[in-house]
Amino acid sequence: MHLEYKSILELLVARKKKNQVPLVPITPMPGFSDMDTPDLKKRLDRFGVRPLPKKQMVLKLKEIHQYTHQLMTSESEEETSPPALLSFKQPTAPPPVSPRKLQFGSEDHDVLPASQDSNTSSTCNLSRSNPELCDSDDDGSDGEGITASQAAMLEKDKLLAVRSFIQSDPVLYGRVLQYQPLSLSELKARLRTAGIRLGTAKLLDFLDSQCITFTTAKPGHPARSRRKARTRAPAAGPGRAGGRGKKRMAKPAD
Amino acid sequence: MVVEVESFFGVYMLYCTNPKFKGRIYIGFTVNPERRIGQHNAGRHKGGAKRTSGRGPWEMVLIIHGFPSDIAALRFEWAWQHPHISRRLSHVARRTRKESSLQFHWRVVSNMLRVAPWSRLPLTVRWLRQEYRLDFEPGLQPPLHIPLTFGCVRAKKKQQQLEDKEQEESWVEQCLLCREMVKAADRLSCFHPSCMMVCHLICLAKHFLKSEPTHLIPVEGDCPGCRRSVLWGNLIRHRNGCYGDLEEITSYSSQSHWADELQI
Repeated sequence: MHLEYKSILELLVARKKKNQVPLVPITPMPGFSDMDTPDLKKRLDRFGVRPLPKKQMVLKLKEIHQYTHQLMTSESEEETSPPALLSFKQPTAPPPVSPRKLQFGSEDHDVLPASQDSNTSSTCNLSRSNPELCDSDDDGSDGEGITASQAAMLEKDKLLAVRSFIQSDPVLYGRVLQYQPLSLSELKARLRTAGIRLGTAKLLDFLDSQCITFTTAKPGHPARSRRKARTRAPAAGPGRAGGRGKKRMAKPAD
Repeated sequence: MVVEVESFFGVYMLYCTNPKFKGRIYIGFTVNPERRIGQHNAGRHKGGAKRTSGRGPWEMVLIIHGFPSDIAALRFEWAWQHPHISRRLSHVARRTRKESSLQFHWRVVSNMLRVAPWSRLPLTVRWLRQEYRLDFEPGLQPPLHIPLTFGCVRAKKKQQQLEDKEQEESWVEQCLLCREMVKAADRLSCFHPSCMMVCHLICLAKHFLKSEPTHLIPVEGDCPGCRRSVLWGNLIRHRNGCYGDLEEITSYSSQSHWADELQI
C-alpha cells in the first residue's frame, strides 16, 4: 500500500472518527481566558513568570499547562504510563521547563498539541526533552552581554556624570546649593538632552544620597487648595518613590 | 527664652496628656508651632487634625526645624509617620513591647537624622518640653552639625529689607576665593557681623567640599575670612535675609510656656 498523502489523510480521518476526542487532558485546563488579571498574575508567579499583558498571560498559562500536563487518548488510558511521566499529572509540580525560558519560548508553543497522533507519550517526551527549552537558559536572556560588575561600573559612571552635570551648570548648582527643591521631571529631561540616561529610581537614590531636595510636582501645575494640600503624598517613603506625583508645590497651611 | 526663626519649617511631635489616651503621639508639620498647637487643642473645627481632635489636651514636646523648604520638611514628616514603609528607614525595627510610643518615635527620628536625605540638612533638634526629654542612644547620635536644644521657638515673619540692602551694595565686590567680580545672584557672605568675607556661592561650596569631594552640598567649613567654623545652612539663611535667629531673644521670661496659654 502506498503511503500517499491521500491515504494518510484517510487514516487520520478514520482515526478521528474512531474516538471522537483523540486527546484528553488528564487535568482539564482551567478557564484561563475567563480569569481576572490578579488571578492570572498569581498563577504565573507560581512559575516564576513576571506579570504580562492579560492576553499574553492567558497564552502563557495555556502553554505552561500544555507543558506540564499529560495528554492521553482514550485508548491509552489502559496502558500504564511510563513512570517518568507521572509527575506531569501533578498540577502543582514544578514545571519541567525553566520558567525563565518560558518567557522567551513562546514561539515553540504551536509545535505542540494540535496535530498530534494518538501516541501521546512520545509527544510528551518530545516536549520535555526539547533541548531548546531546558538547557539554553543562560544565553540570550541576560541581555546586552554585560556582567554584573560591568553594569555596576556603568552605573557609577552615570552617577558621576549626573554629578558633574549639576556642577557644571551654575544656575542649577546654585539652586541646589541654596536647598531649592529641584523639579524631578525637569532634571530628567535635561539629563536626557545631555545624553545621560538613568532610571528614575536610581536618580532619586542619587539625589537622596546628596541630600538634594526634589519635587515630583509638575512645573507650572497650579497648587491645590490649602486644605487639600495637607493630604500626604511625599516621595520619600514608599517603594515607588516619586511615582505618585502628588508633591505639593505651594506652602501648605501647616 | 523664646527663639525666633524666620522662614520656619518644622516637624513636631505631640504628646497626649488626656488620661483616656495618655501617651499617644502625633507627628505633624508646621510653619508656625505656636499657632499649630492651638489648632490641635481647639479641635477639628479650628483647624486641628482629625486624629487629634477631641482627644486633647496635647503637648508639643519635640520639634525638628531648620528645613530649608516645606517640601523637605513634609518628606521628613511622612517618613517619621511611616517608618516601616519609608525606603530610607528599612533598617529601623518595629516598636518593641517595652517601648513607649514616645520612645519609639524618638528612636525613629534619631535614626532619620543619621541617614540621607536628611543627614546633611541644617536641622535643629529641639525639646520644647524638657520634662519629656529623651537622650540619644549611644549608637544613634545625630551628625555633629545638628544641635540639640531646649525651649520654645517662634516663627517670625520674614523681613522684607533684602532689596534695599542689595541696592545699597551696588559697589563692585570681589570674590575672596577667585578674585572675580561678584554679582548679587551668586553672592555669599559671612554672617558674623565683624567678618567682611564675600565670595561666590559656588566658589565657597567648592572650597568647603575639598574634604568631601563626593558631595554636592557642603555641611560646614571654615570661613575664608574670619576662619570661624560656619554651617552652610546658616550661610544660606543669611543670604536669604533671615538670620535673625542668631540673636536669641534674651527675655528669659519666667512666664508660662506659650503652649499652656494656648491650651483650651
